[in-house]
Amino acid sequence: MLNYLIRRLIIGVFLLIGIGAVAFIVIKLPPGDFASRYRQFLLDRGTPYEEADRAAQLVREQYDLDKPVAEQFVLWIKGIVTEGKFGHSFAYRKDVGELIAERLPKTLLIAILSHTISTVVGVGLGIFVAPRKYGLVDNISAIFAFLFTSVPRFSLAIIFLYILVIELKQPSISNFYSPQYVFAPWSIEKVLDMFKHIWPVLVIAGLGGVAYNMRVMRGNLLDVLGAQYVQTARSKGLRERVVIVRHAVPNALHTIVAYQGTVLPYMVAGELEVAIVLGLPTLGPLFYDSLINQDIYISGSLLLIYGALILIGGLLADILLSVLDPRIRYT
Amino acid sequence: MTDELSNMRPLPSSAISRPLDELDSPTSDKAGVVSLAESESHESESYFRLVWRRFRRSRISIVGGVMVGMLVMMAIFADFLSPTALNQIDLQNAHVPPQRIQFFYDAEGNFHLGPFVYNYVYELDPATFQVNWVEDTSKAYPIHFFVQGSEYKLLGLIPMNLHLYGVEEGGRVHILGTDKLGRDLWGKICQAGRISLSMGMIGTLISIIFGSVLGVASGYYGGWVDNALQRFTEFVAAFPGLPLWMALAALVPKTADSFTVFVIMACIFALLSWTVLAREVRAKVLSLRETDFILAAKEMGASNRRIIFRHLYPNVLSHVIVILTLSIPGVILAESFLSFLGIGIAEPLISWGLMMRNTQDIQTLGQHPWILAPIVFIVCAVLGFNFLGDGLRDAADPYAGK
Repeated sequence: MLNYLIRRLIIGVFLLIGIGAVAFIVIKLPPGDFASRYRQFLLDRGTPYEEADRAAQLVREQYDLDKPVAEQFVLWIKGIVTEGKFGHSFAYRKDVGELIAERLPKTLLIAILSHTISTVVGVGLGIFVAPRKYGLVDNISAIFAFLFTSVPRFSLAIIFLYILVIELKQPSISNFYSPQYVFAPWSIEKVLDMFKHIWPVLVIAGLGGVAYNMRVMRGNLLDVLGAQYVQTARSKGLRERVVIVRHAVPNALHTIVAYQGTVLPYMVAGELEVAIVLGLPTLGPLFYDSLINQDIYISGSLLLIYGALILIGGLLADILLSVLDPRIRYT
Repeated sequence: MTDELSNMRPLPSSAISRPLDELDSPTSDKAGVVSLAESESHESESYFRLVWRRFRRSRISIVGGVMVGMLVMMAIFADFLSPTALNQIDLQNAHVPPQRIQFFYDAEGNFHLGPFVYNYVYELDPATFQVNWVEDTSKAYPIHFFVQGSEYKLLGLIPMNLHLYGVEEGGRVHILGTDKLGRDLWGKICQAGRISLSMGMIGTLISIIFGSVLGVASGYYGGWVDNALQRFTEFVAAFPGLPLWMALAALVPKTADSFTVFVIMACIFALLSWTVLAREVRAKVLSLRETDFILAAKEMGASNRRIIFRHLYPNVLSHVIVILTLSIPGVILAESFLSFLGIGIAEPLISWGLMMRNTQDIQTLGQHPWILAPIVFIVCAVLGFNFLGDGLRDAADPYAGK
């Protein structure tokens, strides 16, 4: 088990380096380097030519842009690992690491909340509909599941936006808190206020996850309910409720946990889509703006962060699975 | 040698189980031929008949097929279905709301046999200067079918001027309203379907080629090739899909011509979506590799290429088609999101996502909610392909237990 984990970690590190390499290519691919873009940026603001050239040269030296690409990549990774420096954002005029540190907790909060809620609700619904196979509830939930996984989430977000802003006139939904709570210390009211603001994201990003989890759970539970030991439990005279909750569900849960590795990227993508449309101050809009403004270090760094998030999520799911299911052998 | 191989068919069991000495005598040989011909005529239905028979049984997949078929038809015959020329800009009539189709009696009390519409005329709100569209009920315009209208080329070849419906000169008919340049939204949606659907299909087609090659190579050759390809597949599968798509799409130069942009976008979508397919193909090839008919082909000295293309791949193909159908929705969704953000398809091309770009502005959206109409078509396309794929998956293996 420990061996397996260590091996997974090592593979994970290599994967991260690979994702980092691709992210670095994304940084390097646009014509011109960061310094020449910085120079253009200065020129656009009316800085004299010599001044801009000098500043660009300074930047070039400061960020090692005059070195070979491979060395630059190593230095970039080294900067991230040792100092948490991801590169300079000239739109925000600070290091990308600081920007990420500001926004990552909020992103994680939303991602984890919507993921947890969608898993719990989805699994619950799956348990509820499985014994009612092909019944009315099952069919209705199947239709909704298909619908929620088919509607593009950004358009769901637009529809929510339309209803909330135009129809219900709700102010400031693209924030985490109402103005009076922004600098207030944490309290119950603040948390409640936050939920009042972020529930659309949780709902929209979570709906698809609910649908997927429900379908998977339903399928697993139906498989398990057909097993012989379930029949034994029934013939012992146990109530159906006990049979399902005590005997069938624990054995159907493993697949759900294993499935989280697939759902996680889907949920991250959902958060990204919805946050961009609603303009929440999470990583999503930062990423989008950086793509539009060609703020390359942000784009590359966030690509790496998203890769790391998904990787860590998958790893956690695997650990959880091994705890839940001792039958799994690691080779 | 090769011709013989290709002519070989699985023998019916009766031919194999016959004792050898019977084969030697000329009379029984003749009988054998007869029984062979007979058994073929009623035993083996073609593969596609079997698939169709299974597919037909599931109602939901028929619905999916019909939905996809209708959307494809819409895309192909967009010019015919639109009442006006697709690119006819009419700034006087920008953002006109959908016209209600009326029946029987108009405001003057005249009876109409068919449906008719009223034109919208705009009024300025004296207080806010907001544009309000009101129906001009003074004149009803009956909707005619198969009318002569603007010239276009059907399928890009045949010059035509026939439109499915239209109204007389002076009237307008926009059943879904108009967009910011006064173009008919319904016609535009039909036209946008061309890019959205073909992007989905071409994107997955490229990924199919990629995934098939890698999957077959990995499954058939095994050994270190398999190992290396599997690690590579895992590596690519670990990428965060949507963020990488966004990053790559944003790198496409704004100045590139639209065809190049389309091809690059299709390749970007294919870049990450082949992994699922490669794995499935590999698994299928692995299970087939040790079967008797492959071993027989090998024993007969067939080359690797022959075995792969004549024996292995045709057996995997049904699987591939299923995955093709099921991965189109993902590309359609991703494409619409990227275009919606303005980093995907750009004008003069048009896709469903791009049509919704204006909805980013909450004010535009608030005043003209009907520009959300493309959502319905995206959902239809995604649902249609999913249903179709589900049905195909069940039908693709008709020899499995019924």
